[in-house]
Amino acid sequence: MKIAFTTNGTDWDARIDPRFGRTDYLLFYDEESKTMSSVDNREIINVEHGAGPRTAQKIFDNGAQVLITGNGPGGNAARILDQMELKIYVGAGGMTVREAYNAYLNNQLKQGVNNA
Amino acid sequence: MKEIVIISGKGGTGKTSVAAALAYTVPRVVMADCDVDAADLHLILKPVVRSSEEFYSGVRAEIDTQSCVGCGKCEEICRFAAISHESGKFSVDKLDCEGCGYCQLICPAKAVSLPEQKVGQCFISDTRFACRLIHAKLGIGADNSGKLVAKVKKEARQEATRTGMDYILVDGSPGIGCPVISSLSGADFVLLVTEPTLSGLNDLNRVWQLTARFRIPAGCIINKADLNPQVTAQIKDFLTQQGIRHLDDLPYDEDFSQAITLGKCLPEINPGKWKTRFANLWQGITKELK
Repeated sequence: MKIAFTTNGTDWDARIDPRFGRTDYLLFYDEESKTMSSVDNREIINVEHGAGPRTAQKIFDNGAQVLITGNGPGGNAARILDQMELKIYVGAGGMTVREAYNAYLNNQLKQGVNNA
Repeated sequence: MKEIVIISGKGGTGKTSVAAALAYTVPRVVMADCDVDAADLHLILKPVVRSSEEFYSGVRAEIDTQSCVGCGKCEEICRFAAISHESGKFSVDKLDCEGCGYCQLICPAKAVSLPEQKVGQCFISDTRFACRLIHAKLGIGADNSGKLVAKVKKEARQEATRTGMDYILVDGSPGIGCPVISSLSGADFVLLVTEPTLSGLNDLNRVWQLTARFRIPAGCIINKADLNPQVTAQIKDFLTQQGIRHLDDLPYDEDFSQAITLGKCLPEINPGKWKTRFANLWQGITKELK
């Protein structure tokens, strides 16, 4: 399973950014190979409109099956993520990536509805 | 540090009057005016600018007349009729240009550039109260965006961290568009200010659909509640149904317009009536913050 996190940094001690579209980084953890990769999303600060769909595209490009974030994506981003059959977990804003991953493993994170 | 966003869906419900009263009431707070299209918190807080920064957003096409070969392809394909020519010289009307970049793509002489436009300024200011205010000013024809709201909020967070403040109060814009989504993004609590009119309830419902999607806890103030008891009751039913905390009913009161006329906030012009009321309101909000 490949897991995507919205974060403010690039390692296990980085914090989960509660924002989806305007998150500073996307962190990807591949559970099979136990490797981590990251995407610098900070250029999003220059995007006036449609930050959510752009960030969703990056999740798609990296092929994650699970997303762990804070508030959860907005409507436009959710419609895209829905097409990927991505499982979304919310409420991890402010946790470290390590804490959020453990919370996910212990079923302590709420599952977000993809499309309301 | 907790971030509280004040929104209303509908304009004119008294959102900024509430925001100004809270700026006066809440200790250790940074204010952020994200209603950049129609900013008016500054009328009451009377900011003195400490620092300012130019704000760039969006692109517009520009044709370099030196390298232009005069083929006219750009004028032909422009969907916004923004390009015209006079005695073989092609130029772009900046007001018509949408910055789509089609002309740049099609130009055989590579004569078209798309420079970013300076659309306004972003400020960090001292105010009459103990709080600092982060605000922005747009040029004529420029519009608010998720980008600008994100910028104002980022400055506010940095200012709060730098000065050790506990709260950020964000005055959001009406509607449910990109700027509102951006102001909700990353917030800890949403304060909804509504009024007992059908459009007040309708727009509250719309903005709540958006807030609920982000799973941010919310509380609601019904302003001018006594003007229409019937719709006030409908709003209360809606709040119960949706699990939104009902924080207070404010009566219709001439003090509101009086305060705005004097450039002051409610607890200042009539402390007896409003000071405790807003202190209690704030206490109600802090209880909702985890």
